[in-house]
Amino acid sequence: MQRRFITTLLISMALVSLVLAAPAWSAKTVKVGFVYIMSGPFSAYGQFAKKGAELAVDEINAAGGINGHQVEAYFEDSTGKPDVAIRVLRKLVFQEKVDFLIGLDSSGVANTVVPSIPQMKTPLIITHAATPDVTGKVCNRYVFRISVNLPQNVKAAAMLAAATDAKTWTTIGPDYAFGHQSWEYFEKYLKELKPEMAFLPKADVAFPPFKTTDFNPYINKIMQSGADGVLVSLWGGNLIDFVRQGQEMGFFDGKRQVLMTLGAATEVLSALGDKMPEGLWVGTRYWFLANSSQRNQDFVKAYFDRFNEYPSYNAHGAYGALYTYKAAAEKAGSVDKEKVIDALEGLTVELPVGEITIRPEDHQALSDVSWGQTAAHSNYPIRILNPVKLFKAEDVTPPVAESGCQK
Amino acid sequence: MESFLINLLNGLSWGMLLFLISLGLTTVFGVLGILNFAHGSFFMLGAYLCMQIMHIMPSFWSGIILGPLVVALLGVVIERMLLRRVYGRDISFQLLLTFAILLVLDDAVRIIWGPGYHVVEPPALLSGVFTIFTRTYPVYRLFLVIAGPLVGLALWLFFQFSRWGKIIRAAAMDREMAEGIGIRVPLLFTAVFALGTWLAAFGGALAAPHQSLAPSMGERIIIESFIVVVCGGMGSFPGAFAGALILGLFESFGTVFLGSAQMAVPYILLAVVLLIRPYGFFGREV
Repeated sequence: MQRRFITTLLISMALVSLVLAAPAWSAKTVKVGFVYIMSGPFSAYGQFAKKGAELAVDEINAAGGINGHQVEAYFEDSTGKPDVAIRVLRKLVFQEKVDFLIGLDSSGVANTVVPSIPQMKTPLIITHAATPDVTGKVCNRYVFRISVNLPQNVKAAAMLAAATDAKTWTTIGPDYAFGHQSWEYFEKYLKELKPEMAFLPKADVAFPPFKTTDFNPYINKIMQSGADGVLVSLWGGNLIDFVRQGQEMGFFDGKRQVLMTLGAATEVLSALGDKMPEGLWVGTRYWFLANSSQRNQDFVKAYFDRFNEYPSYNAHGAYGALYTYKAAAEKAGSVDKEKVIDALEGLTVELPVGEITIRPEDHQALSDVSWGQTAAHSNYPIRILNPVKLFKAEDVTPPVAESGCQK
Repeated sequence: MESFLINLLNGLSWGMLLFLISLGLTTVFGVLGILNFAHGSFFMLGAYLCMQIMHIMPSFWSGIILGPLVVALLGVVIERMLLRRVYGRDISFQLLLTFAILLVLDDAVRIIWGPGYHVVEPPALLSGVFTIFTRTYPVYRLFLVIAGPLVGLALWLFFQFSRWGKIIRAAAMDREMAEGIGIRVPLLFTAVFALGTWLAAFGGALAAPHQSLAPSMGERIIIESFIVVVCGGMGSFPGAFAGALILGLFESFGTVFLGSAQMAVPYILLAVVLLIRPYGFFGREV
């Protein structure tokens, strides 16, 4: 008697839940997986990306979603390690069954992970990792990048360097691919512009290990070297420590030209406040005040209203990537992965940073690069860039033949 | 000449900071027999609490006095509730437990203060620069060169000559005998662990004006302090001093002469010491 009662109860519960779940089955959602560094010393970048992504998801869903379907976002932590990144990417593709992937902060992780993406048959837009290899040596059909990459940013630096009167250049950069490649490309591009320019040899330049917190020995080395131009490719916490310690040591006394390829990152400017010297040329991947378009103003205002801070480049990267996906899906008329890839190639879309076009041959986006001189401004608690110099995409992007991409 | 002096000062100031932190690690090991993996996290907490206290009372001195005290209190809680259970057990239990504490503390800091970077200003008395020939050098680093040995000397005098110092050393040498003659060893152990934690946190607060604060900032410190402790001799004060000084100077001058090989210096030093003199410069065979 009791057994029959329980069986009936269970069966009716199952039926009821089936009926209630039915509407959920019929409403298809578009699933997007985001993979960024969410923990450890660089978790700031993942947090920024998550904020940008959440803003984009809410805006897009409020406007009807992608091709009429609501967007569901899944966030995973790459922890900055390639094996973890591959594991979470696989989880997103095979378990959560996402339609699209966005992410990757670390160039090291990107280099290792990108060759595995074709097996997952899911398109990935990279929004931060700047190594030229992901749209070069290891490029493939499924991987795109909408953010400014290393050669583009460094070419702009070289163009700025050529316009100064510095005659001998040295560098200080983190001791991994990013630091070394920044210097390699800088030397190459600057030599093309000014063949008589001199560069310090390997033994005299400074590549502090990533975990360095004490830059004094390196600052000392550069000040002693006699170079009158310095390319600084340090970023994040390294750059904050370097600028503070450099100030104390008199590094910014005007005896040398200093170019900081990632000095305009908002997390660096916020932490440094008044300690960031004025008049330094700094670059970034997105500067929130560079573009006066309505699209950018709306984005900056919406971001500031929601998060009470100005959007960093990583926030813009995730935000822009989702809108790029939306544009591609609309152009293709579907979220089928292969059709979206075909739509992405050659796509032009307006993002807060400006209008970008994705080059079909190597999947690198062509977008303008902004550099500027640091300046104080009464309206803002951080240093802003004034003047801002905009480098057109055509002038700074290496031609496809140079990229090394063979799809 | 001035470059040499600057490198010397760099090596000394970094070495002295490392000395303070390693002193905490070596004391805890010498007395309690515990290798505390979470030592670097206490360093990080010291820096963060110093920053937080400075938000309430904008004086660096209040931050550096109160911050490490709060962390020492946390150390007391951790010792009583967690570490007590693994005394005398297999070393793998200790390593797992202290590593777990490290992970919990690192993420707790990230959750409470966010993942972004924070900075701490040095106090007005110690900020600014002085000139060496034609170059400038921050006053604060000179302060580090002086503060380190002062604290170390005070502790050494305490352990060598005061009654409590002798009691602690007795308990370290032979726990059962000490308990036998009426010394309350568990209470002593708590006090020593709190001291070790305080030293790490004090090092963190001292380091805060000098480097940006970010979660997991203790990672590098813990590895280098382990190397200092092993090279100097586990449980040895002069060992920690010598080890930290040598490491600091090698790293500072290494950047000039060794280029990219400089990163390997701490590990090469460790390997050489372990091969030639496994108990460290001043260590004794146990």
